[in-house]
Amino acid sequence: MNNLILAWRNLWRNRRRTLITAASVFLAVLFALFFRSLQRGSYDHMYKNAIESYTGYIQVQHKDFWDEKIVDNTFIYDNQLEQQLLADENVEATIPRFESFALASNGPQTKGVLVMGVDPEKEHYLSNISERMVKYRLTPESIERIDKDPNIPEKVKELAGLFENSAYTNASRLQLDLGIADKEASQVMPAIKEHTVFNNGSIYMGKPGVWVGDKLSQYLQLGIGDTIVLISQGYHATTAAGKYEIKGIVKLPLPDIDNKIVYLPLDVCQELYNAEEHFTSLALAVHDNEDKAIEETISRITAVISVEQRVMGWREMNEVMVSQMDADDKGGMIMIGILYLVIAFGVFGTVLMLTAERKREFGVLVAIGMQKKKLATVMTLEMLLIGFMGILAGAVIASALILYGVEHPLIFKGEMAKMFEDYGLEPQFVFQGIDTYYLWQIFIVILMVFLSIGYPVQKIFKMKVVNALRA
Amino acid sequence: MKVLEIKNVHKIYNSSEVKVHAVNDISLDFEEGDFAAIVGPSGSGKTTLLNLIGGLDSPTEGEIIVDHINLAGLKSSGLIDFRMRNIGFVFQSYNLIPVLTAKENVEFIMNLQKWNKKERDERTLELLKAVGLEDRINSRPAKLSGGQQQRVAVARALASKPKFVLADEPTANLDSKSTETLLNIMEELNREEGITFIFSTHDARVVKKARRVITIEDGQVISDERKN
Repeated sequence: MNNLILAWRNLWRNRRRTLITAASVFLAVLFALFFRSLQRGSYDHMYKNAIESYTGYIQVQHKDFWDEKIVDNTFIYDNQLEQQLLADENVEATIPRFESFALASNGPQTKGVLVMGVDPEKEHYLSNISERMVKYRLTPESIERIDKDPNIPEKVKELAGLFENSAYTNASRLQLDLGIADKEASQVMPAIKEHTVFNNGSIYMGKPGVWVGDKLSQYLQLGIGDTIVLISQGYHATTAAGKYEIKGIVKLPLPDIDNKIVYLPLDVCQELYNAEEHFTSLALAVHDNEDKAIEETISRITAVISVEQRVMGWREMNEVMVSQMDADDKGGMIMIGILYLVIAFGVFGTVLMLTAERKREFGVLVAIGMQKKKLATVMTLEMLLIGFMGILAGAVIASALILYGVEHPLIFKGEMAKMFEDYGLEPQFVFQGIDTYYLWQIFIVILMVFLSIGYPVQKIFKMKVVNALRA
Repeated sequence: MKVLEIKNVHKIYNSSEVKVHAVNDISLDFEEGDFAAIVGPSGSGKTTLLNLIGGLDSPTEGEIIVDHINLAGLKSSGLIDFRMRNIGFVFQSYNLIPVLTAKENVEFIMNLQKWNKKERDERTLELLKAVGLEDRINSRPAKLSGGQQQRVAVARALASKPKFVLADEPTANLDSKSTETLLNIMEELNREEGITFIFSTHDARVVKKARRVITIEDGQVISDERKN
């Protein structure tokens, strides 16, 4: 009789216990994989938002700029530097920026803002600002129009009131927030779009005009065509002051940035700060944004830039966020660790019962001539089979859920979405696809099963046949 | 021909306060083809003696020699292997492997010895026929009566053609009809295959069938009678 067949048949001696034990392993694997995917997917999404709406993956800066963000710590951008950077295999484009702070005001409202001088043409390589322009807004006027529209259902009108002053970069999010089902969208959405449409203008190099963040525009009570006044300190302590017409409103996924960003055409910004030809950073658009590729690119670029410049990766530039995510990640791992611990005790409990219950049988088998090594192998196979059944079922179900989740992120709507937004979070859960964390979770469960096998194996090897026969 | 020699064997159990002399200087020889019963009151040392003979326990003093091999000289795995090849066991409560059929239980030891399938099948069928269970070869122990299970256990004990079979109270859980059937089968196998049977028993029916009766009391042999 083959060991595997014997182990398999032994498993079904107590069908219920085997199924319960396999189910506990299944649940451990399912929850661990599902929540890791959700957690890591959310981190990736947040990193992507931060990178694409602000820092980029790599920046070349004046060597002192990161530590002291003043206009004096800038560098002059020349064609030679650009050619050197573009010569790198992973660099797709260089995106020059001039970044500083200013005091912004509109009437009695004043706020410290982040001024970002950008080349609108080049910026699309990285942040694609045009896609972040506000296209619909639930202003008090638009809500009034919705209220008066007899073709719009009452529940939509109620939710529109809840989302007053919310801005949208696309209609699908607006549809979700207003709780409009797909089947009624064709009837309701055209009217909603008409009532809420928001028209932006563009900013161009050489032409004064700004785009401001949605939250900032609401704080300063600014709309399209209004004027914003910026006051700051320019290059070599000169006074920087200017007033600019609001050409557009952008909505960035990072609430902190959205609350303070003012985009100016790059040359207009340089002129404001009296720093013509100067730049605070060159953000680099890359072909491959995997961590390893980014690190290698940083090393190569560090070798070609001057000593007056430094290269920074996205992790370094988003240090606070990375630390927060790391802490959250550790918290998640501790929770999964606790889950594993609970499951491990469950599996171990089964092993204890199984070993105690079959002590006499073990004694008989060794008495009639079965080597302890073979008996231990059968026991090991039994536990591995239980483990593999649980792992396989858990991995299959988790994979199906995760792959579905990757294609269909969990998007919250209505009041739940409002609650997320009030906390400064995007109202959606994004999943990470199947990756190395999968192998790790499965490895941990296998390790847990192996550790639990230790007990019966040790019992078998230490067993005194005579005592076992008396059990 | 001697298959088993027991020379001045002692077995002392040291509990925390009391020393128990379970086997006290027993010397016995068993010949090929013996059909012997070890009798005595409870606690007299029958099972301990059987455990020592079967290499399941080791004597405190003395020697047990099976087919010229001293069991004391064998290491743990060697002893298990020796038992598998030379000693058959029949236990009071049958102790069949519950997940295996009657046929699989009988061929279990042959499997451990890596017999080929043809030899295994022939031997298994021969033994199950001998114990009258050829029609129950695919039944699992739970589907067999106590008597049938014990007959399968006897067939299992004989499967690898051991030097002798040790049966610890084999009829203790059986009714009189099953006991009669089992004893007849064992006697027949003893005569036909020449295998030595050593029983420990309280059962007068077993004693009646036995051709040699060894009585022990307080760990010592009181009498050793052979019947003609």
